[in-house]
Amino acid sequence: MVDDATAAYIVENQKCFEDLKQVASQLAGLLVLAAAGSKEAVPDHPMLGASRELFQEANDVLRRSRPTERAMRHHEHLAYAAAFIGTSLKAARGSFEIDPILIPLRAGYAELERAAGALPGFEMVSYERACCGLGAK
Amino acid sequence: MTAYSLWVMEFAAVPNYPQSGLIYGMHNQGTRKLPYCYIVIKGQGQLAMVDVGYNHKAHGEVLANTYGVRGWHPPREVLGEIGITPEDISNIFITHAHFDHMGNIEDFPNATFYLQERELSKWVWTMSLPRRFRWLMLGIDPADIMRAVDLARQGRLVCVDGDRENVLAGVDLHAAFDTHTWGSMYVTVRNDLATNSESSWVFCGDLAYTQENLRGHDPKDPEYIPIGFAMGSQFNLIMKTEEMVKSVGGDITHVVPPHEERLKDLFPSRITKAGLRITELALAEGEKSQVR
Repeated sequence: MVDDATAAYIVENQKCFEDLKQVASQLAGLLVLAAAGSKEAVPDHPMLGASRELFQEANDVLRRSRPTERAMRHHEHLAYAAAFIGTSLKAARGSFEIDPILIPLRAGYAELERAAGALPGFEMVSYERACCGLGAK
Repeated sequence: MTAYSLWVMEFAAVPNYPQSGLIYGMHNQGTRKLPYCYIVIKGQGQLAMVDVGYNHKAHGEVLANTYGVRGWHPPREVLGEIGITPEDISNIFITHAHFDHMGNIEDFPNATFYLQERELSKWVWTMSLPRRFRWLMLGIDPADIMRAVDLARQGRLVCVDGDRENVLAGVDLHAAFDTHTWGSMYVTVRNDLATNSESSWVFCGDLAYTQENLRGHDPKDPEYIPIGFAMGSQFNLIMKTEEMVKSVGGDITHVVPPHEERLKDLFPSRITKAGLRITELALAEGEKSQVR
């Protein structure tokens, strides 16, 4: 159970969490293509533009957000996640070397996982309605 | 000759899964047990698998508490029942990139993984879409994609472009694009190693969940009924089902859906102390049964 103010925080920050997760997914996707030798993984890949926009939106929400005491740990993890993912995004500018992107990305993703564990309402994988036993509520 | 021993290894299960998710159109028709399994292929000096299950650390608690997935056991324990370890596995064929099929790649440190390139590239494209398209990302764990980066860097990720014959002797990969997922594939084992095999097996991943997908509700009047979840189309699923059934000469018992509980009615099997079923489809020359 969470109090009303924390519930409001959860609602306000869900999109921020989802956006950061999506940016992390986009970077990871480009990295795997790069590591697999795909020509699609290039520094000017159009997806990176979308990633940067999403990241900016997430950061804006994060800056405005006023966490309750109950939500403080979640907010810290989200802020760390944003910092790491931001570093990863910057590293993807101009070149596409894997380690400078991947190392902070991993750290950012781990912070998102910690955030997901700190409050209800934040899921790392959308299980609902997915296949194979998911949706078996 | 029988070139490979083939086992279906259960590693977890959903006791009560809605039939409508498994068989298109079966709404309000109750539930059935849905085992989670992977396949072991052993022979010709090779140990291979089809899919690797999910990572309990990452997903287990949510799945258990929220969606009723029960009894997850690690590959070391599951494979130990037939005398092998995860380290022994040299080749793994990932039928599609859903977390419950490729989520446990970390547990197989010596394996090379085969996945359709289209599965990766279309997921990446999907990720670039606005949030309102997020349904298209169901079942995908970004952490799996990050783990795949390491595989690729270590030279252990083979991106397959379409069909590939004899990836191991007698083992073929077949693309099933725009079906259950963008870049699904199924695996054929020609167990006599013949080009026109009379002893073929198809491991279909999630292109079929149950026998009903392969023969309808009346075996005397068979029809194909697609599964309940297609990222591509039901049409493509049905046409691939025809292709798979033809490739085993029409014997649908040789098209193996890893989520089909009733394999136990067709093949010898046993239940382990952990309550997991091992189903033995074939035994290579000289191989000892693991279920009798």
